[in-house]
Amino acid sequence: MGESAIVGRVLRASTTGFSIGCRQLISEQGQRIPEFGALVRAEREDGNRIFGLIYNVTVEDDAFVRQLVAAGVESAEIIEDQRQKRQVPIIVDALVVGSGRGTEVSYRLPAQPPATLDQIYVCNGAEIRRFTERNDWLRTVLSAAGTPTDHLVVAALRAGASVRASADEKEAYLITAGRELAKLLALDLTRLDGVLRQLREV
Amino acid sequence: MALELNKLTGQVQAMGQALAQREGETRDRIARARETLARRPEVTSELQAKIRRAREIDQWRRGALPLGTSLNDRRQAGVATPPFILIAADGSQIYPDRHGIATYYLLNTGTIVLRAGSGQAPMVSSAPEIFFSDDDLYNADGQLHLPEYINAQRARRELAALADLAEAERDALGGDLSVPIVCLVDGPLLPWQGGDADSDEAISEEIDFFARQMRRLHAARAIPLGYIDRPNSAYVLRILELVDQPVEKITRETLRRGRFLLLADRLLFDDLQPNERSALFSPNSEANDHYEEASGGDRVIFAYANLARQDCPQSSAIARIEVPKWVADDVTLFDTAQAAIYANCEPVSYPYVLARAHELAVVGQAERADLEAMLFQSMLRNNLMPEVSLKAANKLLTGGGHRK
Repeated sequence: MGESAIVGRVLRASTTGFSIGCRQLISEQGQRIPEFGALVRAEREDGNRIFGLIYNVTVEDDAFVRQLVAAGVESAEIIEDQRQKRQVPIIVDALVVGSGRGTEVSYRLPAQPPATLDQIYVCNGAEIRRFTERNDWLRTVLSAAGTPTDHLVVAALRAGASVRASADEKEAYLITAGRELAKLLALDLTRLDGVLRQLREV
Repeated sequence: MALELNKLTGQVQAMGQALAQREGETRDRIARARETLARRPEVTSELQAKIRRAREIDQWRRGALPLGTSLNDRRQAGVATPPFILIAADGSQIYPDRHGIATYYLLNTGTIVLRAGSGQAPMVSSAPEIFFSDDDLYNADGQLHLPEYINAQRARRELAALADLAEAERDALGGDLSVPIVCLVDGPLLPWQGGDADSDEAISEEIDFFARQMRRLHAARAIPLGYIDRPNSAYVLRILELVDQPVEKITRETLRRGRFLLLADRLLFDDLQPNERSALFSPNSEANDHYEEASGGDRVIFAYANLARQDCPQSSAIARIEVPKWVADDVTLFDTAQAAIYANCEPVSYPYVLARAHELAVVGQAERADLEAMLFQSMLRNNLMPEVSLKAANKLLTGGGHRK
């Protein structure tokens, strides 16, 4: 349950989602950040927290990058320069799934979105565990438009299971979540089957 | 639309035909220049006397002095072996606009330090500075500084940044001289523009500053190099015009009606092999003479080089590369610098570090608008009501390009 790593800063935001600009796909500490399905949080100046799930990571390009790709660049220094130092950010989109203050977690949407340039952190194990104690966020994700919801649910549930210590705990967590999914997708059994199959994959 | 393209149809067609005809003539004339170069490449004392005579007669004529024994020498630089360090600096500016909300100018200097062979991302930075005080904006006569003055300030920052970074890199190497450091500027190494009125005093001030930075780079054993892409210079063609001309027939009139006028040396040398450079020449200019005096004997020397990968004239990338004489005198050192640049040109036949330094420096229209919006707010907070001139206001109304 280490320190929370920083993903980047808010580029644009609404109460239902926000986009983050970040500089690279690997953090200074060598962690793979940002990752699809990761739970992230924004810290507002008023002390409120906004939780989001990363549902899209876009590596932007520009004319310079396209030229280098076409020319077949081989130099390691040039490739690292393009990855780390150019002002072409990686865009990370997050779906808002809850809010809170301190250690409190609410599955309601926040009253206000994060502000421009707010820092966005990856939630650590304790925070993920706290957020996934209940499964109310699943409804928000399943009803979200314009996101790969089924894949997002699976990735987020796997992340939730990964922060539980024992195999029994992980299993209990996934079974409870599976029951919740069965309720929410009771009228779409094909979709439910697809989600549960993905959850079972190793 | 303000530009009625239909009225230009005939003129554009005529222009296309004229360009095609000129291209044919250019090819013929360059072939004649090549023939002269191949037939009489020797740098004889007679040729040197003709070059001196031409300069005496016509100062306007920008010529050069050949340094070797043949005008047609060629040399391959070889392959660069890392580690080596490339440093580049480039600047951009916003000139004062008397129609704007306030009078100011801005300089932005972009720099990059690329340690080839390290596998690490280079170090990059940009340093913006805004100038708004009366001392910064006006000369001793109370006139707003001309763009030439601002360009000179920009050039100073580029050179000083290169010297700072080169010294820091050499220190970081613990003074190890086995790792070459090559410092690039985009354009001629020697600033030829002075201050406001190109006065002797302003020019000599710029050249003294230049000489000081060159001394710092020399002390750090860092190789300064000016890179001129697609050069329009015709120094060697000016020499070739003299080859068949008897010295007594060299007059102002014959000089100004040279056989190879309106051609460029890069066409003459587009048969250089990849990574090959031409013979060495020294610009026969007053600025170079000034620099020689200020530096105690150094001069700027140049060669043409082909930085392309493919071996054919159609895809050659001829650049003029300028170095101080202390570099040109050491053929291995010049080879090292050229090979390092050639390696860095690998992706796009142009030095990557220069492209990045430019990118770090350039101030686009959007950034300029953002800066002016910040300035607008700052003025409002200080109880000023920012206003552009009536001309600028009307341009904003009419220049949007939305009228159909």
